[in-house]
Amino acid sequence: MKLLDRSKSTDFAAALAAAGYRVAAPVSDGGLVRIKEWAPGAEIAASEMPLNSMKDFLFPRTEVIGRWTLEGDGFASQDVRPDAPKTAVLFAKPCDAAALAVLDAVFNWDCKDCFYNAKRDAAAVAVLACGSADEHCFCTSVGGSPGEAHGADLLFRPADGGLRMIVEPLTAKGKALADAAGSALSEGQAQADPIARPAERFDPGKASAWLASNFESPLWKELSLPCLGCGACAYACPACHCFDIQDEGSRSESVRCRNWDSCGFGLFTLHAGGHNPRADQSARWRQRMMHKFSYFPQRFGRLACTGCGRCARLCQAGMDIARACARISPRENA
Amino acid sequence: MSGAIGAMRADAAKLLSEGAVKLVLGYCVRGNERYPCFISEAAQAEALDFDQSCRQNLAAYLRKPEVRGRAPLAVVSSPAVCRSLLVLSSESQIRENEVRALAIGPKGYGGILGLGALGAWLKADYPDLVPEQALLDRVAELSAKTAQERAKFWMKEFEKCTRCYACRAACPGCYCERCIVEKNMPQWISSAAAGHGNYAWEVIRAFHQAGRCTGCGACEAACPQGLPLMLLNARLSQDAFEEFGSRPGYELEAKPLIGSWSAEDDGSFIR
Repeated sequence: MKLLDRSKSTDFAAALAAAGYRVAAPVSDGGLVRIKEWAPGAEIAASEMPLNSMKDFLFPRTEVIGRWTLEGDGFASQDVRPDAPKTAVLFAKPCDAAALAVLDAVFNWDCKDCFYNAKRDAAAVAVLACGSADEHCFCTSVGGSPGEAHGADLLFRPADGGLRMIVEPLTAKGKALADAAGSALSEGQAQADPIARPAERFDPGKASAWLASNFESPLWKELSLPCLGCGACAYACPACHCFDIQDEGSRSESVRCRNWDSCGFGLFTLHAGGHNPRADQSARWRQRMMHKFSYFPQRFGRLACTGCGRCARLCQAGMDIARACARISPRENA
Repeated sequence: MSGAIGAMRADAAKLLSEGAVKLVLGYCVRGNERYPCFISEAAQAEALDFDQSCRQNLAAYLRKPEVRGRAPLAVVSSPAVCRSLLVLSSESQIRENEVRALAIGPKGYGGILGLGALGAWLKADYPDLVPEQALLDRVAELSAKTAQERAKFWMKEFEKCTRCYACRAACPGCYCERCIVEKNMPQWISSAAAGHGNYAWEVIRAFHQAGRCTGCGACEAACPQGLPLMLLNARLSQDAFEEFGSRPGYELEAKPLIGSWSAEDDGSFIR
C-alpha cells in the first residue's frame, strides 16, 4: 500500500506545488488553523479542524464575475473568466468533502455556474479520515462518517498510531495527486488507526418531517432568542452558499462582484420598499434550519448540513443547530 | 463565588415570581463553554451561573426587539456589562425600570441594582477598570511603529475579515438600526470581503466606538478570524481619555463624547 509519513506532509505539499498545483491545506496561522494556500515554510496541521471550510477555494467570499469600461460614449463589456488554477486541497475533512455534493447541486441547478464549476473541475480533494472528534462534531447524525470520503478524490487513513497515513486514490484526479507526490510517498504496510465515532444526536428524517409541518411553531422564538444575527455560522459552513451581487466602480470602470451573504442578516431579505418578510431573528434562524433540513432535501434529495459543527463551535451566543435538531427530533434511544 | 451565585439565583427567582421582570438574561455553563441563557420562570433560576469566563456582553441583547419586547428585564451584569448599561443609558437607549442589573463580579454579588445605582457600585468596587497590561503593552508596541508599518500590520489583519459582523453583533454599542455597511441605496462602502471595503468597515467600526467602548472585549472574543480588535479599541480609548477625560460607563447621565458639544469646546484646531 501507498503510505505517507506524517512528517513528510509538507514534502507532499511541496511535490504538488512543484508539479504545478496550487496547494491548499490546514495551516497554523497565528494560533489558529485555517485552510489556506500553502507556501514553503508553512506548518501543516493535518488533523486539525480548520476554522474555515474548503468551500473558500470553490466559492470564495468575494469574486469578480463581470467587468465593464466606459470611454467617452463607448461602453464595453470585458471578458471575465473564472480564476481557476489547478488546485490540490490536502487534508480536507470528510464533512467538507461531503458538502461538495451540496454545492455541486445548487451551482448546477437552473443554470450551470461557470465560476464555481471551473474551480470545482480544477480541484482535486484529498480527505484525511478523522481519528478524533470533539463535542460539536455530528456528521454521524446527518448520514456522514469520519471515515468516509464521499466527494473526495483521494483518502488518507491515519495509521500506526498517527505516524503514517495510508493513501488511497479514489479517482483519476486522486491518482494524479499520488503520482505527482513522487518520493514523498512510500510503499509498505501499515495498520489503520480506529476512526472517530461521534455520537448520533438526532434523526434527520424526523427533523425534516417536523420542520415540514412546523413553520409557525412557537419553538422558533425560544430557540432563536440567543442569536444576535451575525453571519459567522453561514460563512464557516461548508454547505452554505447564499450570495449577493454587487456592482462597484467608478465612472470609467466597474466590476460585478459575487459576495457571500447570510440569511442571518436582516438586510438579506429587506425589500427596497422597506418591508422585510423575515421581520425578526426567529424568522431568520428558522430559515437557516428550514433550508438545511427541509427545503434543500425537498429540492435536491440531500441535507444541506454535513455535521462539521463549525457553526456551534464558534458561536459566542451558543446557537447550536445539532441541539436544535435533537430538540425537535430526539432519537428513540436517547 | 458560590455564595454570590446562590444569591444571584435567588434574586432572579424572586424578580420573576413577583412579576417584577418578565425575563432574566444570564449565563449558563455547557460543557467547557459559557453561553447566554434566558429564563422566564423562577424554577429555571438554578440554570444561571457566572465566572470570569463569561465574556459575552449581555447588554448587546438590549437592542434585540424580541428581548426588548419582554421588558422589564433583569440582566446578570459583570462590571463590564454594568458599564455598557450606563453607556446605553447615557445614550438614551435604555430607561430606568426597563432594565435591572443583577450585579456580580470578582468581589461578589452586588444585589439587584437599578441603573441609577450602578455607578456607585462600580466606583466603590471597580473604580479603575483598565485593560490588561499585556494589551496595553501591545498597544504601546504598535503605537511606536511608523504609520507605514502600522498600515501594513492592519492591512494584513483586515484581509482576514469575512465581513460576518460577529464583532458588531457582540457589541452593546452597535445598536444602529441600519449600520453603515447596510446602507445600500446606494452602497456606502464596499461589501466585498477584501481590500478597501474591509479597511473601511474595520476603521469605521473602531471610530464609532471612540469614547464609547468600555473595553469588555466581546467583539474580539466573537471574531471567528481572531482579529486583534482590542488593539484598535484600546488605543482609541486611550486617546479619548487623554484628550477629553472620557471614561465611558461610570456615570448614568454622562454626556457622550461624540454625541455632545459645548460652546467652550477647544476649537483651536479648526483653521
